Amino acid sequence: MTAEKIQAVETNTLPYAAGFCWSTGFLMEKFIKSLAKKEIWAAKCPRCGYTYVPPRNRCGQCDAKIEEKDLTKLSGKGILVGFTKAYVQLDASSKFVDLDEPIFIGAVKLDGADSNLFMQIAEIDPQDIKEGIKVQVKWQDQTQGAISDIQYFTHYTG
Amino acid sequence: MAYLKDQRRETMMVEGSWNIGAYRYKGSTQLQEYVDGLKEKKLIGSLCPGCGKVIVQPRNICGRCHRRMDKRMVVSHKGTITCFVISPPIEKGKYKIIGMDPVEAGVIQEGAILVPVFVRFDGADSNINTILLNCPPEKVHIGMRVKAVFVENPEGKLSDLEGVEPLKE
Amino acid sequence: MLRNAAIIGCGQTKHSGRRRDVNQAELVSEAVHNALEDAQVSLKEVNALVVGNMQGFGGVANPDLWIGDWIGAPGKPVLRIATGGTTGGSVGQGGFYSVMSGLYDIVVATAWEKHSDSKEAGATTGLLHVALANFFHAFGYGLSMKNLLATSAVGAAAGVAAYQARFYMHRSGCRSEHFDMVAAKARRNAARNKYAHLQWPNCTPEDIHKTELIVDPFRYGHVCPASDGASAIVIACEDIALKKCKRPAWVKGLASYSDEETQMQSESGGGVGVLDPSEQMGARLSAMKAYQQAGIKDPKQEIDVAEIYQPFPSQELLFSEKLGLFDEGKAWIAMEKGETEINGRMPCDPSGGVNATNAIGSSALQRILEAGLQVMGKAEDHQVPKKVRNAVAHGWGGVTNYITVTVLGETPAPRR
Repeated sequence: MTAEKIQAVETNTLPYAAGFCWSTGFLMEKFIKSLAKKEIWAAKCPRCGYTYVPPRNRCGQCDAKIEEKDLTKLSGKGILVGFTKAYVQLDASSKFVDLDEPIFIGAVKLDGADSNLFMQIAEIDPQDIKEGIKVQVKWQDQTQGAISDIQYFTHYTG
Repeated sequence: MAYLKDQRRETMMVEGSWNIGAYRYKGSTQLQEYVDGLKEKKLIGSLCPGCGKVIVQPRNICGRCHRRMDKRMVVSHKGTITCFVISPPIEKGKYKIIGMDPVEAGVIQEGAILVPVFVRFDGADSNINTILLNCPPEKVHIGMRVKAVFVENPEGKLSDLEGVEPLKE
Repeated sequence: MLRNAAIIGCGQTKHSGRRRDVNQAELVSEAVHNALEDAQVSLKEVNALVVGNMQGFGGVANPDLWIGDWIGAPGKPVLRIATGGTTGGSVGQGGFYSVMSGLYDIVVATAWEKHSDSKEAGATTGLLHVALANFFHAFGYGLSMKNLLATSAVGAAAGVAAYQARFYMHRSGCRSEHFDMVAAKARRNAARNKYAHLQWPNCTPEDIHKTELIVDPFRYGHVCPASDGASAIVIACEDIALKKCKRPAWVKGLASYSDEETQMQSESGGGVGVLDPSEQMGARLSAMKAYQQAGIKDPKQEIDVAEIYQPFPSQELLFSEKLGLFDEGKAWIAMEKGETEINGRMPCDPSGGVNATNAIGSSALQRILEAGLQVMGKAEDHQVPKKVRNAVAHGWGGVTNYITVTVLGETPAPRR
C-alpha cells in the first residue's frame, strides 16, 4: 500500500489584529481602580458568605446577587495553597523562549477570601517555598489602577 | 434622527487583541487550476458527472450531488449579468480595507462608482463575482450581455480577469 | 419516542448599542435570571443548559467557560452551539431537542452578543476578521485590491443581502420604497417593545428615505444595528409545563436545513451552483417540514403571527413568501396594504424584528422568544390584538446557508 503523495499548498497569513475593549462591569472596575490606592477588594455573598476576589456580582455557589454594599477590603496577606515553577514563557509572536531564571507561580488564598489568585511568587529562597507558607502582596512603587500594580507576592514570617 | 436614547453609566474597558497574523492558513488547490487557466485567458470550471453542472471557479466535490468533479471544462468569455449592486460615489475616508484607504492608495479614483456584478458565463452553472467596466451605472440591468476583460499580460493571478464589459451582439 | 415540549418562561435584557455597564457574563446572567423568574423555576430545578454566541464578535473564545457559574451551569450538562446568524435559532432548537428526546425535563436556552466589546467602528471587529479570513486565501492567488474593495468593502457592507434584494426586486416588481416602509414599520413596532434597540415611535418611510445610500438598494436607515443584549427561554416537558404555566407556548414543529453557500465557497474559492441568492431553498424546505410536523396545511390561514429574521427589510418580504405566508412575489403588495402591521391580517415582526435589534447570537432566539410571547399573551404593548393559535419563528445565518424554522402554538401537536 503506497501513501498518497500529499500536494504542498501555499500558506497565507493576514497581518491583521482584531482589537477588543472588554467592559468590566461595576464590581471589577472597583477592584481594578482600587489597586491604584494599593487596596485589594473582594465581594462577600450576602447569603452564603463565599468571598470572591476579584469581586463579581453573582455568587457561583448559591446564585444570590452580590452588590457594591457587599464589597470588603482585604489585608493583602494570605497563604500559599499550591505552586509551580516555570522555565519558559511566550514572546510577542507566541513562540516559547527560555527564561534566564525560572520563576515561581503560586495559588494564593488571601485572608478573608475563599477563592484563589494566581500570582508570581518572588523574593523567596527556593528551599523555603512550600504549601502553607505565609505570603503577602508586593506593590509597584508607582501604581496606576491596573492589574500590573501587583508586582508579585513575597514570603513573610511572623 | 428621533430614536429613543438609552442612557447608562459606563464602566472601564480592558483592551486586548486577537492576532490573526499568528495563523498560517493553507491555500486552496482548486484555485490553482483556475489561475493557471487565467494565464492563458481561459475560464476553467469543473463538470459534475451526476447533475451535469459546470461550476466556475472549479471545485473538487459537487455541492448538490456530492460526487467528485474531476473533469475540467473551459467556458465562454461571453456571459450574462445575473445580479448587481451599485456603490455610491467612493469618497476618501469612507471605506478602509485592512487599515488602508483605497482612494489614498490609488486603487480607485475619488468619486468613482463601483458596480460589483454576478456574471454567469455561457456554459457555466455558477456566478462569478467581479466588476463592470466601461459602462455607465444607469445602463446596468439583469440579463445584460457582457464579455470578460483580461489584462494585457496575464501572470496566472486572480487579477488577470479585470472584470466584464458590455457586449454588442 | 418524542414527547412534547413547551416554553414556560422568557427573559431578555434591554438591548442597546453600548451595554458598557456590564461585562459579558453579567449580561447573560441578567437574561437567564429574568427567564427563570418569568417561569417561576429555580436554578436547582434546571437539568441542562444550551448556550451560544458568535465568539469572534465579543472576542471571548470560550465564553461558556466564563459564564458557566453565572447561570447555574456547575453540575449540569452544557452544550454550546454556533451557526452564524441563526445561532439563537439553533440554540433554541438544541434546547427543544434536549427536552423532546426525553433526556431532560427543564432546560434553559440562552444566546447573546456583546458587540460593544469590539474596537472597530460600528462594532464590526467580528465581521471584519471573519470576512477577511474568508478572502485572505485569494491574496495568495493575486486578488486585486480593486476587486477586494468591490467584493468585500462595498458588496459586503450589506453582504450578499444586497444581491438578494436586487434579485427579489427584479422578479417581484418590488421597489426600494417598499424597503423604506418595512424599515419604518420595524422601528415603530420596536418603540412598543421595551427591550428593543432602535425605537422610533413615529417613524415614517420618508424618514428612512432621507438617510444616505450605503450601496444601492440599501440605505443606512434600512440596515439593522449592532446591539448588545441577551435572551433566554425556559423549556419544559409536557407534565411540568402543564403544572407550572397557565399558557405555555407548545413546540409544534421545528426544522433546520443547511445549504451550499451563496456566491462562493469560503476559504477555498470554489464556485457554487446557486444562481439566485434569493432562492433560499433551505427556508422553503425547513418551513414545509416544520408545518408538516405541526399539522399545518395552509399557513396563510393557520399562522397568526410571524417573527422573521430580517436584518434587511428585503428579507422580511422574501422570507415571508418562503414561509408560505404570501404567494411568491406578492409579499410587498400585501405589506403596502398594511396586512403585516401589528393589527393587520398577517402581522410580521411585531417586536420590531432583527431590523430594529440585532445582537447577532441572540437574534434568532429572540424570534422564538417573541413568537412564544405572542402565543402566551405576554407581549404587552406589542401583543397582536387577534387570537394567536400558531406562530412561526425563523432564523437565517451562515453565509446565507443555515435556516431554522420553529412553529409554536397554543395546543400541543398530536404525539408522534
